[in-house]
Amino acid sequence: MNGFSNYLRMVWQVFRKDLQVEWRGRQGLPVMLIFALLVVFLFNFALQLTPGLQAGLAAGLLWVSLAFASTLGLNRSVSLEGENNALAGLLLAPVDRSAIFFGKTLSNLTFTFLVALVLLPVFSLFYQQNMLNPRLVLVILLGLGAYTSLGTLLAALSIQTRTRDVLLPVLLYPLALPVLIAAVEASRGVLAGQPLAELQSWLSLLIASNILFLAAGLLLFDTILEE
Amino acid sequence: MQYNDAMTDTENAPVPPAIEVRGLSKRYNLQPVLKDLSLALADGSLCVLVGSNGAGKTTLLRIIASLVRPDAGFAAINGAALKDNAALRRQIGYLGHQTLFYSDLNALENLTHYARLYGLDNVADRVHAGIASMDLVNHQHKPVRTYSRGMLQRLAIARALLHDPAILLLDEPYTGLDKEAAQALDLRLRGLHQPGRTLLIAAHHPQRLLAFASQVAWLRDGRIAQIQAVDRLSETPDLLHYLAEAA
Amino acid sequence: MPKKQPLLTALNILAAAGVLGALILILFFTPEEAQMGAVQKVFYFHVSSAWAGMLSFVIAAGAGALYLAKRELRWDWLSLASIEVGIMFGLAAILSGMIWAQPIWNTWWVWEPRLTTTAIMELIYLAYFILRGALNTPEAQARLGAVYAIVSVITVPLTFFSIRLYRTIHPVVFVSGGSTAFTMSPRMWTAFIVSLAAFTVLLAALIWNRTRLAALQSANAQEEN
Repeated sequence: MNGFSNYLRMVWQVFRKDLQVEWRGRQGLPVMLIFALLVVFLFNFALQLTPGLQAGLAAGLLWVSLAFASTLGLNRSVSLEGENNALAGLLLAPVDRSAIFFGKTLSNLTFTFLVALVLLPVFSLFYQQNMLNPRLVLVILLGLGAYTSLGTLLAALSIQTRTRDVLLPVLLYPLALPVLIAAVEASRGVLAGQPLAELQSWLSLLIASNILFLAAGLLLFDTILEE
Repeated sequence: MQYNDAMTDTENAPVPPAIEVRGLSKRYNLQPVLKDLSLALADGSLCVLVGSNGAGKTTLLRIIASLVRPDAGFAAINGAALKDNAALRRQIGYLGHQTLFYSDLNALENLTHYARLYGLDNVADRVHAGIASMDLVNHQHKPVRTYSRGMLQRLAIARALLHDPAILLLDEPYTGLDKEAAQALDLRLRGLHQPGRTLLIAAHHPQRLLAFASQVAWLRDGRIAQIQAVDRLSETPDLLHYLAEAA
Repeated sequence: MPKKQPLLTALNILAAAGVLGALILILFFTPEEAQMGAVQKVFYFHVSSAWAGMLSFVIAAGAGALYLAKRELRWDWLSLASIEVGIMFGLAAILSGMIWAQPIWNTWWVWEPRLTTTAIMELIYLAYFILRGALNTPEAQARLGAVYAIVSVITVPLTFFSIRLYRTIHPVVFVSGGSTAFTMSPRMWTAFIVSLAAFTVLLAALIWNRTRLAALQSANAQEEN
């Protein structure tokens, strides 16, 4: 049997199973979505936002709601593995355990990206600014890729504590700060009409973060999960 | 090959044990659970692992299943070390205290997930056979969160056997089973006990397993205190006495 | 009774002498900077604290990696000790930075990249203690603490670059437009190098003492069991 194709099959199966569990239980995505919208409403009044919103504020608001909503999804993603210790079932599989990390990152990215795809037209409606922009979607994918890979890693840490999912935001937000700064700045640039070439530094930072966090997951995930 | 006993003469090379652990130590919360534990089981054994609560039966099984990393020592299957050898886990079936199922998925979906993790061919046939063997066909489309403890245990047994593993590690397999299901499991285990398959079964109340087991291993103070063939238990009165007490 | 450790005692004395010597150099040997005056002398210990803090977080990650490779708790003690000491140095860097900023910019806090990065690092490493406190066994604390120390150190340069880049786009507008930039005279350099060296020795001494304390605590806990 080919080791690498086994590995990819495991990544795919973990991803597919997460989607299936979500489809049957619907306990993650709807909560994330409603929460993201609530954050938008909350900030709208807390910060006295006006319909003709500046690009910077719109980008900031978008990423704050994505970052908060994503935390819920990340916690759900690991807690569902803890329920009947289903995680042990994944650990028993005859494939290197980093495959679990990539599969879970992929499903977390998918859920958060779906939330983003709902938020974009909502923002366009609320703040009279066209946010359905393919370059913005690219920035969102890069930013969420780094954010959810780091988040998946840290969620697997926090779920092992006595306080369980309570700890995740405290671990994740300070470590994810550079990703959020870069994502907000790149999104702001895109919304202000800057070409991607001018945003190269931010995009490089996002790409570097993706690589670093994926490598950290590849090397450390087995250590996080074993007893 | 990690099996480093002298094997100069290949013709007379000893067949490595199906399950072998040597010098296993594991501490939990700085308290030793296993202390320099060694155990070797030949292919085709059905060994009952006995010992009081907290003796380390579960820890030993979890180490062999490579769910727990030992602090020291070595575990091997058919002479190949388990450490850093993910593909070897294909040969292991493990049944623990928890069912390892996703409560929102039904029996079919759960078993299909496991069949895919192991990369099995004929996923649908295997899953159906597994569900039928545990008499759960009528419930296979219901989410497992609606199952009773006994049904979950039966499904968990089907999961452990799904990929037809050569090494079976069962931790208290009779938990939650009613009389009928327990008898069915007796039959199933008797059928599984054959050359090419090795079973290590942890049991707090081992009596019913003694009727068809080949060996008993007694785990006490973090070590295998005694290991004895079932038909020669009279030679080890301590163990015989312990088994009588445990009944 | 624990053994006496003459090397550690020597290091303790060296650290104390070094910091005292650096202080004397700074107070009596270096000139006052023309624009900023006496407050600029905060610079020596400010930068040295920041350096010592940064170095200790790198040591913590290295010790964490060694723990994961060897699974010996003494590497975890070193990692934990480094983070504790690093947090103290980070705090010293922030406070001295604020003392420096106040007369120059007329405000206690500026969102300056290094200062901001240090503040975020403090938050990151405070969370390290929350993580450890929420774990049940010393083995889990060591294992997950090591993972967290490694991941944290990866993000520090990312944080610094992102804030610096952010500042080039959104510059800080200061109330009274002073600047902390200045040219260093040879005497300033001497005092600076001595401060850096003294703080590095101090860091080593503190980490060693703290590691030893952890070892003694662990031996004590073992005896009680």
